[in-house]
Amino acid sequence: MATALAVSPTRMELMKLKKQLNLAQRGHDLLKEKMDALVMEFFEIFRKIQESRTKALEQLSTAYRALTNCFALMGTLETVQAARETRRELQIEISSRYLMGISIPAVEFGEIQRNALTRGYGLHMTSSVLDEAAREFERALGLLVELAETEAVAFAIARELEKTKRRVNALEYILIPRLKGALKFIMMRLDEMERENFTRLKRIKAIIEEHR
Amino acid sequence: MNADRLIKFELARLNAHLPERRISLKEALSLTKPQVPTRDGSVHSFKRKELEILAKLLPEADWEKLQLPIFIALEPKLGRGAAKVSGEVEAKVAAKLLGKEAARELLIYRPEVALLRRNLPTTTQYLFVW
Repeated sequence: MATALAVSPTRMELMKLKKQLNLAQRGHDLLKEKMDALVMEFFEIFRKIQESRTKALEQLSTAYRALTNCFALMGTLETVQAARETRRELQIEISSRYLMGISIPAVEFGEIQRNALTRGYGLHMTSSVLDEAAREFERALGLLVELAETEAVAFAIARELEKTKRRVNALEYILIPRLKGALKFIMMRLDEMERENFTRLKRIKAIIEEHR
Repeated sequence: MNADRLIKFELARLNAHLPERRISLKEALSLTKPQVPTRDGSVHSFKRKELEILAKLLPEADWEKLQLPIFIALEPKLGRGAAKVSGEVEAKVAAKLLGKEAARELLIYRPEVALLRRNLPTTTQYLFVW
């Protein structure tokens, strides 16, 4: 292990390694805290996604029911014709906000629901069931945009979580054990050198005494 | 060793999302777009709904004292999962939300942190202390 780090068994190196180990352990503890916080945020977002998805699916189901009614009462061709006459541009502002250093999207949009006069189709040839279907689909659109934002946030958090986990693991299973191994090696080597010196001194002392 | 530089970089990045300066609840309520610039050059916005929740929880005299965002300090020495909310008014408002006894410094645990973040996602922020 010591060879992997290419350390020389000196006291200076020992002090340097102790500092590095201290920093690595501090980094590991903090990154683990960050990981815990990210997991918490992820579960919270996951809960929100489930809620948003349920709402969006319910709304879509209501909207499609309204559309089926519209097809039945107004006629398929007339409904398709009215839909072709409708024009829409939805202004969505996508900015980013930061959560623990992760850039996550923040979606803002204006009023999605319009009244029958502003939708673009003629009122004299259409029925109120078309207005209802359009209203329901506009509501669904709002919910789908919200769901998209929440899912994008979840993906961003998940990516950061993966990165943080990799770093925590690298510190926990590679760097810290390596540093500990190198420290142990230097301490053992220094102890050994001390014992060698001690023995050498004893031997020299014995030789000197022999010569007296 | 490169690992050292990497760890230092990671540690420096941990608190990059924090604001350059905090603003009081009173100031935030008076702004049309309540937000603060952050250290990494971005902007952190507060949701008005949350500001109103905080305003309801505190008497008007404390609006000036409450500094936003409220920091949830994560400190390894507190133990894994424990966090601290510092500041008298900040701790008071967190204690009220969590149904705990108010103190100058409030020590909270993971489920409480989650609850606090759920209720105040933009007016609270994590702070990593080492």
